[in-house]
This record gives sequence, C-alpha cells and structure tokens, in this order.
Amino acid sequence: MEFGTSITPANGGDPVALARRSEELGFDLVTFQDHPYQPRFHDTWTLLAWVAGRTERIRLAGNVLNLPLREPAVLARSAASLDLLSGGRLELALGAGGFWDAIEAMGGPRREPREAVEATEEAIEIIRGMLDAGNQTPFRYRGRHYQVPNAQRGPLPAHNIPLWLGALGPRMLRLIGRKADGWLPSLGRVGVDGLRAGNKLIDEAAEAAGRDPSDIRRLVNVTPDVPLEILQTLEADTLILYTDDVSEMERFAAEVMPVLRATNRRPTRPSWVRAKRRDGIDYDGVPASADAVEPGDIDFPRLRSTYLRGGNPGIVLRPRTTGDVVEALAFARRHRNVPLGIRSAGHGVSGRSTNDGGIVLSVARLDHVEIVGDRRIRVGPGARWADIARALAPHGWALTSGDYGGVGVGGLTTAGGIGWLARKHGLTLDHLRSAEVVLASGQVVRVDAAHSPELFWAIRGAGANFGVVTDFEFDVDEVGDVGFAQLAVDGSDPAGVLERFGAAVEAAPRDLTAELIMSRPRPGAYATILAVVDSDDPETIVSQLEPVASIAPLLDQRVVITPYAGVMANAGDADHDGQGEPAARSGLIEHLTPEFSAAAEELLRSGAVHFFQLRSVGGAVADVDPMATAYANRAANFSVTALGGSQHRLDALWDRLLQPHFTGSYLNFDTDRRPERLRDAWPPEHLARLRDLKRRYDPDGLFRDNFYLGDS
Amino acid sequence: MTDYGHDLQFGVFVTPTAQPVQHAVELAVAADRAGLDLVTFQDHPYQPRFHDTWTLLSYAASRTQRVHVSGNVLNLPLRQPAVLARAAASLDLLSGGRFELGIGAGGFWDAIEAMGGRRLSPGQSVQALEEAITIFREIWNPAERGGVRVDGEFYQVRGAKRGPAPAHDIPIWLGAYKPRMLRLIGRKADGWLPSLGYLPGGATELGPLNEVIDEAAVAAGRSPSAVRRLLNVGGQFSAQSTGFLNGPPEQWAEDLAGLTLEYGVSTFILATDDAATLELYAAEVAPATRALVAAAR
Repeated sequence: MEFGTSITPANGGDPVALARRSEELGFDLVTFQDHPYQPRFHDTWTLLAWVAGRTERIRLAGNVLNLPLREPAVLARSAASLDLLSGGRLELALGAGGFWDAIEAMGGPRREPREAVEATEEAIEIIRGMLDAGNQTPFRYRGRHYQVPNAQRGPLPAHNIPLWLGALGPRMLRLIGRKADGWLPSLGRVGVDGLRAGNKLIDEAAEAAGRDPSDIRRLVNVTPDVPLEILQTLEADTLILYTDDVSEMERFAAEVMPVLRATNRRPTRPSWVRAKRRDGIDYDGVPASADAVEPGDIDFPRLRSTYLRGGNPGIVLRPRTTGDVVEALAFARRHRNVPLGIRSAGHGVSGRSTNDGGIVLSVARLDHVEIVGDRRIRVGPGARWADIARALAPHGWALTSGDYGGVGVGGLTTAGGIGWLARKHGLTLDHLRSAEVVLASGQVVRVDAAHSPELFWAIRGAGANFGVVTDFEFDVDEVGDVGFAQLAVDGSDPAGVLERFGAAVEAAPRDLTAELIMSRPRPGAYATILAVVDSDDPETIVSQLEPVASIAPLLDQRVVITPYAGVMANAGDADHDGQGEPAARSGLIEHLTPEFSAAAEELLRSGAVHFFQLRSVGGAVADVDPMATAYANRAANFSVTALGGSQHRLDALWDRLLQPHFTGSYLNFDTDRRPERLRDAWPPEHLARLRDLKRRYDPDGLFRDNFYLGDS
Repeated sequence: MTDYGHDLQFGVFVTPTAQPVQHAVELAVAADRAGLDLVTFQDHPYQPRFHDTWTLLSYAASRTQRVHVSGNVLNLPLRQPAVLARAAASLDLLSGGRFELGIGAGGFWDAIEAMGGRRLSPGQSVQALEEAITIFREIWNPAERGGVRVDGEFYQVRGAKRGPAPAHDIPIWLGAYKPRMLRLIGRKADGWLPSLGYLPGGATELGPLNEVIDEAAVAAGRSPSAVRRLLNVGGQFSAQSTGFLNGPPEQWAEDLAGLTLEYGVSTFILATDDAATLELYAAEVAPATRALVAAAR
C-alpha cells in the first residue's frame, strides 16, 4: 500500500511547499490536478517539473493530466525527460477530458464520450510506443485522432513509467482492463460500492485480454473526512489524500498510514515483465542483494550490451559489496547451463562481458577509490580510470591504465593495462600489490606476494579465469602535467609510416608513449598519432615528439600540456549500445620490421579492417621478468589491434599475413575464440602453470566464457 | 552603424542532451553561480537524444536562483500555443520572473511531421507564429475584459480565460533570418535571436537584417530599440589570437563590444557545453565587454 497527496496547483497558493511537506511526512506520491484552461492554476506539467527539482524522493503525477490539450507524442518525450531528471520519479496519470467547452475555448478538440475513449486508447499506444526506446525501429502510428508518421523513440526513461487513467464510465474501465497500468478515480464520485464494481469490471476486461488483473494498480483520491474504517475496506493499492491542509496531511501520516502500510505485498514484477524471462534461469532464486535486471525491466536496454558487442542476457546481477558478489556467484554456480559474463565497465573489445540468454555479473557498483597511504590506493573493479585519474590528480599522482577513461578497473588490470605511461611506468598490473578475490568456490581470499602467491601471479594476466576481484591495492606513480599530442600525418604510404613509427618509438626516451591509428589507405588518407610525454616542459615535449611527428608529412597537430587526468577525461557517461558481434584481432610484436609493415599494408588495402591501432609497450614493461606475472610477452614493443566487419575474413587475412610476425597477443582485444589463441597469449611454461592453477581454483569451470583455460 | 542602447546581457546555449541526464542542468547551475544572465536550450521535440526542452527549462529554473531561462528557440509547431502561454506564465511565477520566451516557427518539417505535427510552408509558418504571439499576449493580459478570442487560420482560441499574469513582462524573442519573419519581429516581437554561425557572411550581415527589422518597427509605430538584438556565438579561448572569437578573453571582449557598437547586439549567448569555458566567459569576457561598451557610448 502506498500513499499520496493531491494538492491544488493554485498559483496563489504554495503547492511547492505542500509537496515538500508531503515528502517530509513520508508520502510516496504527490499529485496535482490538471486544468490548462484554468488561469488560477499553475500549468501542471510545469509545476511537476519544478517540484521535481525541489524534492528528492517523492514521486510525481498529474491527477489527472488533460489529454486533449497535451499531444501524446510530445507528452511521452516530456515524460521520459522528467523521469530521467528526477531519477525515476514520474508517473503518468491521464484523463480523457470532461470540460469540453473549456477545452475547445483553449483551441483543443471537442469529443463525444466514445471519441474520448478512442482518443485515450490511441494516446496510450503512442506513449507506450514512444517510450519503448529499447526497440530500435521508428515508431509509427495512424489513428483516427492522432498520427505519428515516423518518430524516433526515446529517450529511455529511468523507470517503467506506468500509465494510469482517471475514469468513470464502463467503456473507460474496460480500456483500463485491456491496456492501462492503473485506475485513479475519486472516492467522492464513485463511492465504496462503485469502486468495487469498477474494479470488478476492470478485472474482467483484463482477464478477457489475457492480462493479470494484479498488474493494474488501483489508486483512489480520498478526502480527509473519510474514516479509517472505510479506508481499510477500500479495494485500493494507493490512497491519495485530497487536501491543501498541512494539519490534515500530518494527521493522515501519523494516524492512518502506519496502520495501513503493513498490508498486501505484490509480486515484484508484473506479468508482462515475467513474460520476457529466458529458459534456464531460476528467477525466483535470485538473491535480493544482486539487484537483478531482467530482460523485461526498463533498465535492460541500458545493460544488455557492451561498448562494441550486442547482447541479450537472461539476467544482469548488480552486486554492491564483496558479500553480494559471493551470493551472485553462488547463483551462477546453480546455472552451469547458461553463459556467465563478468563485467566491470563493459568496454572490453572482446565483448565477453555480455551474452545471449545467460548471466551477466556486473561489478560496476563496486567503484570505490580510496587513498590508503603514500602513493598507495585501493579501488573497486567497477571504478573507471577517468575517475581514478581525477582522484589522484590533486596529489600529483597517476596510475597508468588503458587509453580511454571509460574503461573499468577489473577487466583491464587482470589482463594487463597498456596505457599512456606504459613505456615509463609499465603495465597497470605491474602496480598491483594485493587483491581481494572471490573464487569459484565462493571463498574470499586476499592475495599478494606473500599470500596465495600463485593465485596472485595468475590474476595478473589471466584474471578472467580465476575469480571476481572485488578490491585492488595499487602503488601509483608521481606524475605531474604531461604533454599530450594529437597529430595527423600523411597515411598514403602505410608500410613506410609503420616502419618509421616503430623505429622512432623504440629509439625514444621512455617519457614518450605513443599510439598510431590507421585505416584503409586512399588518396588523402591520414594516420593519427596520439602521444603522451611525461614532462611538463614545452621544450622537452617538442623535442621528444619531433621524431614521431616526422615519420610522414605532418598535416595537423594539437599539443597541450595537461594533467594526466585531462588525457583520461575522454569518455562520456552514456550507456553502451553495441550491436552485433565485433570482429577484432590482436598481437604483440617486438619490431615493426619491413616485412611486418608490408604485410600490414596488404591487410589494410584489403578493406577487411576499418580500424588498425598500434600501442607502445616495451620500456618499463620489458623490465619485468616474463615469469613474474601471468602476463608473459614482456619483450614486445608494440601491441597491434585491428577491427573489421567480418570475423571470418579478418581471421583468414590476419592468420596469413600478420600472425607469423607476432610473439604474443592481448586477449582483451581479441574476438577470435579458437583455442590456439591461448597458445598465442601464453608460452608453454605459462600455459601449463595456468592450467594447473585453473584445475585447483576452478575445477568445475565456472569462469568459462572468457578464453577458458580448462579442458586441456 | 547602430547601437540601440540596451544594457548588455551574457548567456549560454547548452545542448539539452538526455545523456548524461544532468549535464544541461549542471551547466545551468554553473551559469547561475558564475553570474551569467541567461541560459538557453534548443528545442527539437523529435530528437530523443535531447531532453524535452520545456521540461528541462522548468527543472533547470527550479535548480537555479538568478539566471533567466529561455528556449533557443522553442518549436511552435509541436507546442499548443494557449497551453504554452499558460505554462510560460506559470514558470515565470514559480521562478520569480526568470522566464523569457524564445520561440521559432519551426524548420525541420520532415521531423515535425514525423512526430504528428502539421507541415507548413514558410509563409504559413510565419502567419502561424504571428497568431501564436497574439494568443500569448492575450492570455498574459488579465487586465483586459472578456475571454481570449483568436480566430486564426492555424490557431483558434474561442473564449479562453485570461491569465495568470506572469511575474514580469515576458519578452518574446524570435529566431529568424528571412525578410518576412524579420518584418514580423519589427512589428510584434521583443527580440531577435539569430546564430552568428548561420550567417554565411559573418557579422556584417547583421546590418542589413537589422534594417529590415527597424523599418518594420517604424512602420508599425514602434521604436527600433523596442527590439532587443540577441546573438548566439561560438568560439575558442586560446593564448594567441587566431581570428574572431578565437583568442584570449580580452580579445573576445573587443570582438563582442564591436558587435554592440556597430550592430546593436546586446545579448551574447555563447554555445558551449564546458563549465570552465562558461566560467571564464562570465568572469573575464562579460565585465570587460561591458567596460568597453560603456567607455565608447
């Protein structure tokens, strides 16, 4: 049972203060009637938005919005915006209109009762269609009263905005049963018996339409004089107190709400959400701590995909603590029949953190960033590198990561971490001092060089196979302002550019770490060089950049001195909407030899690759003993990544042209699932050691969907 | 060479992006704190990447204290004028007089029609806008007796009640570039709100367009100075001057002061989605521009 207030939106009164008071008193909902033809009243939509900006928790609705004077397609867009801005607090309660003289006087239509019901039904279809932003197709609707020839859907609201109708007549009640999410009459107009009869009619219409009547919320406006005994007998899920009198609100909150609140629990999800559940998943057994999102939930479109890969998982689990992760993994252990993806921020090119019909365990909410000592931090796997860079900047520190601020800590650290400071400060995983890991068994262990050293070894380079890391402890480096360069050079001679880039980077001081991005060569093609110089001295920066800027005619340049956090502030907060299956390959190489460069040019000219990127490793990365961590390929000076449109075509060319030149690979950037990729990533000694550890720590293969080390 | 003598105002033009959800609101709050006069949002109700602009204006106004808010410019074809007039009065009352009505006749007719709006020709859209302006002014004027009656070709209001009176005289600013719209501005509007980037010849085009407005105003018995000249501008702050509105703040001030003294522009609305740029604009460009203009007037 929920409780609301209905406040007169008088522009001579103070409806905003009354709304805030409603919130303070613990009401769940605040509502305002809507009569756009009435100048003594505020415009209700404007007032709802204003009140949303002045409250925190209370939900908001018109009571009820005047549909004939509000175009449904624009109303849907407005509703999505207000729901987003208010953090999911808008409900839509609509009325078919009733004061037709006043509506027409304002320039609206005059409708007969049957027409009003018909128009309301059309509006419901339009609003639902416009808000169905998980559906990528345009929304089209042609009704008798409204037409929406070809609109784009969205934006996706923060929560599933219900459509409630104020209604009296049997035709409208049957419409509610067929299509609406709630009924909102006033007790003073329908009476107790009328409420019961109306509910019965709604239930019958719902069942006739194949709906579960309990999916339809029953709300009712009541005046303060209705005694508690009557309120207790009402067939209603929400009582809305119709008053502008604060003392009546206070009395109701103190005397009525506690008595009535401890009643009827509804199933958490309506039947139409449950209808989208996938086979093989025990939805009733999901731990509450997982805060799960199902395919029918409003948040599903935000979570189903990763940065590049489209997904359609059966459930997304969202733990907040290590204990929650333990429970989530226990749930996953009961579902060996479906895929399991572990996700930090969902940026992995490989796309292993989503799937079809399986479980996604997202650690995005374990996103703490804590400074725990001098150049020592603890972070959660869901923290993003831009946020970490920003947190460290005031101390003059930085932790090298990847090249993009939106990437999460968990997936990157456990695989390597090839970033802007790699040549000077090494990989991200080289800075890891300890970690808390939830193992396949559900056991939580703290690993470091002295405790479970073998497991500590394994998670630095092969972490995807061994557990969910819930806390990372890192040493960070002292890094002041850096030079950040974005250069465009002539790309018409790809082989020459590659060869000269390789030579220039290998000869450069370690302060410089550079990337080269190329695409298919054609007249006017250019190659992009992105480079960081770990220095704040302009002369040093320019002199270190000069060799890489000279590998081909320079077409454009932009060099800035910025805090490292400025380099990493390159990601927005948007949800992922990857689609389809990305095709990517990666390799590690010591030198960009003329032979490799010629082969790469042939690959680029084939048109099979639309994105070709080289990142620098070497330098400090190569200082570490190859056996010190599971990341094995220390001798390489470059990481090579390509993205194409077809896995088959990319594989054929890559295998023939480039694979022979590589000494290793970086699996986070690879979508080729063939088992030989394991042998590329790990030399025999590493691979044997990892397989032994896999048998010890994950004998049943719980972590099996991300370059699985079992079954050998 | 015209300076209409208006006090200078400085505002920002923020992309009303729906993701990140609070981006536009945060910039409105930043503008408020920085002491800017105005924050504006474009209005494309057919664009789901954007917030609904009316909703965003109301919410942003509730989260700010002093800054005025306006569409830049609201999309009339997808907004019912009588309801919009009432909503505008409400927002002005709720915000203590901080709403301004920047409105346009619509331009992307395929997208408007796709949303269920009515497709109009350029001439029709000007007439529709004129009818809407009449409706706004009549609704906002409860001192007049009798209901509002506008029997237009595109909009009809048949006896709607007047009121409420807004907290301040809400100015009506029009986005426009063509002669018929400019003449409408001269006849009936309170401001002209073009974008510098839409003028192929740059600032020099403001002169002849101003003349069209001025002549229409005089013909309608109004003073040209009854129409405020606003302008959306864009540029880049940098240590070195590399062109108009590309350089240090002091050069910006000179460029903008030139626009005031030569072309009568008195409200400068900077297109930016960056809080640091907005703060620099408010802290250094606005006072320097005001000083230059005051010294020259």
